Amino acid sequence: MNWAETIVQALKDGDVSLIAYVPDISIYQVTKLMEEDDYFHVVAATREEEAIGIASGAYAAGRRAAVFMQSSGFGNCVNALASLCIPYRIPLPMFINLRGEVGEFNLAQVAMGRVTRPILDALALTHYTLESHDRLQRRVSGALTLCYASRQPLALCMTPMLHGGKIA
Amino acid sequence: MNRFSATKLLLQNAGDAPLVSNLGPTSDELWHASAGRARNFYCYGSMGLCSSIALGMALSTDEKVVSLDGDGSLLMNMGTLATIGREQPPNLIVVVWDNEQWGQTGFQPTHTAFGTDLEQVGASCGIPKTATARDEEDLVGVFRQALDEPGPWLIVAKVEEEGYLPVAPVEPEMTLYNFRQSFGVGGV
Repeated sequence: MNWAETIVQALKDGDVSLIAYVPDISIYQVTKLMEEDDYFHVVAATREEEAIGIASGAYAAGRRAAVFMQSSGFGNCVNALASLCIPYRIPLPMFINLRGEVGEFNLAQVAMGRVTRPILDALALTHYTLESHDRLQRRVSGALTLCYASRQPLALCMTPMLHGGKIA
Repeated sequence: MNRFSATKLLLQNAGDAPLVSNLGPTSDELWHASAGRARNFYCYGSMGLCSSIALGMALSTDEKVVSLDGDGSLLMNMGTLATIGREQPPNLIVVVWDNEQWGQTGFQPTHTAFGTDLEQVGASCGIPKTATARDEEDLVGVFRQALDEPGPWLIVAKVEEEGYLPVAPVEPEMTLYNFRQSFGVGGV
């Protein structure tokens, strides 16, 4: 399995079947697999905090849900995390593609990429950075287990070292 | 139309349907009208996300799901009307209490006071069943229809701002726990 197939399988193993996302060229490698798979209901949101609302509602009704977004869009999410997921204790796996990493060509992507993990730290949310396919299944499945056990959002930050990044 | 009175009328008709209420007076009034109802999901933050949360629920159950949103909140996240139009969940009913103001922050007029028609916005997004209700009789009639007929539905209910009830003593974590339990979900 390649990295994207590994993430898809980990989500299935974790019983996570609703995906809300705002697209990104790298995470598209994952979301297109899920769109082709009847196991998943993939919802395109217009904005990242909307994706968090949709995923939170799914969990409230008994269905596990995850979100996919780019680091730029994570900047749109802070209040949804701080005033919904954290106080209500909604476990939400967040797959965030980090821009501003090695190979970045767009100056406007650098700052938000740089502050994504510090913001997660400030919110006291656990995050892991995925930089290679090495033990990826174990990292993602283990992160999902921790997310649902702790009942808090948890971020998996994906980097160009994992998926190759966006070619300018 | 008075929002608290209209809320009680909706509750009389909603049966066990899951209800999501927007932050502020909408959640306070729902609590005062039906404290202890496990299928109330009270938002106490996340302004703008009430109907997005209800959409996620509607995609996760076959039951009718009702969002009690507000004009200020929906204006903050109008994109979710487009997502509802794209997803077409037949079991979602969005009710918007439209008082044409941000009431709690000092009664500043919102954009619906200057011509924004949220029913038309929803219709333009492909929501097939829309209505605007201006009195309780209209509202109850269209709400009953929405419970019986496939949607998604968008019902804009024009309300007057007539004072506030005490803030409801809602515990977010217990809200989620009780709500999930009502769907038969054990554990986490």
